[in-house]
Order: sequence, then C-alpha cells, then structure tokens
Amino acid sequence: MSDTVNRPTDDPPPSGASWAMVAAAWVLVGIPLLWGIAITFRKAALLFR
Amino acid sequence: MAGLLDKERIIAPPGFNRWLVPPAALAIHLSIGMAYGFSVFWLPLSRLLGKAQGLDGSLACPADLGFVGEVLSTSCDWKISTLGWMYTLFFVFLGSSAAIFGGWLERVGPRRAGVVAAFCWAGGFFISALGIHLHQILLLWAGSGIIGGCGLGLGYISPVSTLIKWFPDRRGMATGMAIMGFGGGALIGSPLADVLMKHFATATTTGVFETFLAMGTLYFIAMLCGAFGYRIPRADWSPPGWTPRASQSAMVTTRHVHVNEATRTPQFWLLWGVLCLNVSAGIGVIGMASPMIQEVFGGRLIGGAGALAELSTEQKAQIATIGAAFAALLSFFNIIGRFGWASLSDLIGRKRTYFIFFLLGTLLYSAAPAAGRSGSIALFAAIFCTILTMYGGGFATIPAYLADMFGTQFVGAIHGRLLTAWSTAGVLGPVLVNYIREYQIRQGVPNAQAYNTTLYILAGLLVAGFLCNLLVRPVAERHFMTDSELAAARTGAKLK
Repeated sequence: MSDTVNRPTDDPPPSGASWAMVAAAWVLVGIPLLWGIAITFRKAALLFR
Repeated sequence: MAGLLDKERIIAPPGFNRWLVPPAALAIHLSIGMAYGFSVFWLPLSRLLGKAQGLDGSLACPADLGFVGEVLSTSCDWKISTLGWMYTLFFVFLGSSAAIFGGWLERVGPRRAGVVAAFCWAGGFFISALGIHLHQILLLWAGSGIIGGCGLGLGYISPVSTLIKWFPDRRGMATGMAIMGFGGGALIGSPLADVLMKHFATATTTGVFETFLAMGTLYFIAMLCGAFGYRIPRADWSPPGWTPRASQSAMVTTRHVHVNEATRTPQFWLLWGVLCLNVSAGIGVIGMASPMIQEVFGGRLIGGAGALAELSTEQKAQIATIGAAFAALLSFFNIIGRFGWASLSDLIGRKRTYFIFFLLGTLLYSAAPAAGRSGSIALFAAIFCTILTMYGGGFATIPAYLADMFGTQFVGAIHGRLLTAWSTAGVLGPVLVNYIREYQIRQGVPNAQAYNTTLYILAGLLVAGFLCNLLVRPVAERHFMTDSELAAARTGAKLK
C-alpha cells in the first residue's frame, strides 16, 4: 500500500546550462503572451477614459 | 518515428530541470487556447462571397432556402449563427475526447498525445482552409469543430498528469501555469489573426483563407515543440530535499485510484458538480458581459446620459467599443485567476479555495445589480473582474484537487473524464442566461434590468456548487489500488 512516487531521491541538481534553457524556453512562450496582454490592456484602457 | 514518441523515451535523466516542462505545456495550451478567440473569424467568414463580388456586406441566401439548403449552398454567404456552431462543437468534442482518450494518454505518455493534438488542431485549420476555398461549411465544422475539438481535448489534458508528477510540492501552481495558457491563447491568437487577415486581404478577398493556413502552420510548429519538450519523471523521483508532510490533510492522499474506479466514487461526481456549476455561472457572465455593461450604463459610458436605446448610431458604436474593452479586461483577469488561485490553493488547500469561489462568487453575483444601480462603472467592472478570476481559478485548481483526492497515477485520465462537466456547462450556462433574459423581456422587464434575475440565478448555481464542495470527503479505502495493481499500471499494462 505504500506510495512509491513521493520517495526522496538524490538526483544531482540541474546544471547551469539547463537554467539557461529554462530562461530561453520561458522567453519563447512569454514574449507572445506579453504581446497579447499588452494589446488587451490597450483595448481595455478605453473603459477608463 | 514511433520510438521518438514512446513513453519510455521521454523519462527524464538525472539532473533534468523540471522548470523546462511548464513552458512546453504552455506552448500547447497557448496554441489550443485560440479556440476562445475564433469569433474574430466570424465577420470575415460571413462576407467571403459578398466581398468577392464587390459588395459592402454579405451575399445573403434566398429567404426560402432552409437550414439544410444554407448548409449545403456554395453560392451564398454563411450566417454568423451558422458559423457559431463551430464554437459549440469545440467544447463538446473537447470534453468528449478528453474523457475518451484520457486513459490512452496515461498509457502512451504526454508526448504522443501532444503530437496527435498538434495534428488534430493544426489539421483542423488546414481542413477549414479547404472549406473556405470550396465555400463548404461542413468542412469547417468537421475540420476545426470536430477534429480540432479532439485536438483541444487531447492537448488540454496532455501536460496535466506530467506537471503534477514533476511538482508534487506545488501541484496547483504547476497546472495553473499550463491552464493559464489556455486562457491566454485568444489574447495572442485574436490580434494575430487580425494582423494576418489585414496583411493577406485583397480587393476581392478577406484574407481569411491564407490566415487559416498560416495559423495552422504556426500552431503545428509550436505544439510539436511543446510535445517534444515533455519529459516525465522516474516513478521514484521527487524534488530534491522534499518529502511529503507526515501531518498532511486527510484530503490529500498519497495513494492512487484507478480511472475506472474513480468514476464510481461520490467524490468524482461531487467534483464534477463543482466544476460544472462554477463554469456554468462564469460562462453565463462571459456571454453577457459586453451587452450587459452597455445596457446597464448606457450613455454614462461615454460621459453622457440616457439609456442605450435612446442614443444615436454613432454613440452606440462608441459604447460597443467600450463593451468590447470590458470583455478584453475580463479575459485578462480570467488568465490571472488561473495562475493566482491555483497557486494559492497550494497554501490554503483545494477545498478552501473552492469555498472562497462559491462564497465570494455568490456575494459578488448578488451585489452586481446594486453596483449597476449605483452608477459606479469602476465598482461594476471590479466585481466582474473578480468573478472572472474565480472562473479561471476553478479550471486551474481542479486537476490538483483531483490529484489530492485520487492520487497522481491516473490524474490525467480522471481529469479528462471530469472535463465533460465543462462541455455540459458550455451548453447550460449560455442557454440559462439567454432564456431567462428573453423570458423577462417578454414579461415587460426593461432591458437594463433584465440581467438582475439572471445574476441572482447564477448566484444560486454557486450556492449549489458550495454544497457539492461541502460534501467532498476523503475517498473510501476500498477504492484505492493495491501495490500489485499499481505496479502493473506502471509497467504499462492495459487499463481495466
């Protein structure tokens, strides 16, 4: 009945290069999302004029 | 090629950075989230033949042509109501495919499911482009609506189980990040479609055919990148330094319920009710947000006075633009809520989070008519923005709630089955809102006040949701899998 998913493991920590990849991946998805949000704000600004 | 998609192939090596998985999930959810933004195509699609013949508007069908005639006709323009069926098909097939293929996803892994989702979603765009070229609405319904809808369902659930396994310490935040993408997809897709249609338009075409091809290609690439970015943790993996808290709540299990067994528990159906009622109320508001603010505030929106019906055509156009601005603002708060509330649920627990949705939601829905009467546009907007955060939050918190109740092994498949609640709400919410409003107007209630009863009824739905949430208790012992059943499931044995 014991759970085997949540057992602590002794994985090595992620490398510096992997953090660079994380940053690149977030930039790739973040830029279009921020563009969309900026356009939404521009439209929504009309409501408060 | 088959090896590339195998579940065994994507087990992460030691030292893999788990923060690479959320952007992969976002790439898929931001792509399929365009389903919310399809209304940007309705107007250009309804003027294809009219524009080709140099008319200002649509080339209308003969008055005596029935519904079937209009559907099969290639010589008159489609009505917006006919195109709108695509939207219904999206959400019906999203729920159905998630429910049907959830078990398959758990067996084959997220990469294969993500790749199939990419083929379906992008393929839907290409089939629809052919439908536009041949002017055959059935190809749009089948392409974007049915095949694309299946892509939506598979794409939506593909990262859920994986993210929950990578982030056992922050389940809500992890799924919130991905599901935030589904809310954000239209924020990118709608303006992008607008830019592309303007770019491709000529004197005789609306540019929508080329836009479908371009967007299908973009989404295909983005979704494949996402699917190939998925990695799953080893079965014995956990975040370095993290151990499950010994004093964890009884509402968070460390064991697992099989997907077929989960649907036999009252907890599953109570959570189905929780999602369905929260989403029905939210969809109801989204559908009426723009006309509601216009009719409630009328001329005050442009610094004047008078009801909407008393204004000039030019003033009505200005107010319609402000109504669209209000809808845009709500969509932003919808995505903020997905990340915010789901992350908060990691700290305060899922059940408490839904209690907040239902209690605060009931208060806000009930207070909205008074805010309208007070004349405060800011207060009225603030109420609906908060409501929309809780609508989004409901979607994003439910996978973590399921993982807490039923364990992580089959959470993707269980979530898939629960999404039928969304399909149901997609029909229930708008129908409820439209019928109640029409009934009141027939009874002589002024347009601006016809929303009040609707809002009180939506508040009633939230009270019912509160009761469902209240009744959720830990899953009974007999429903959990034994060690041998779990081991068989992990070695890829076929689902029962």
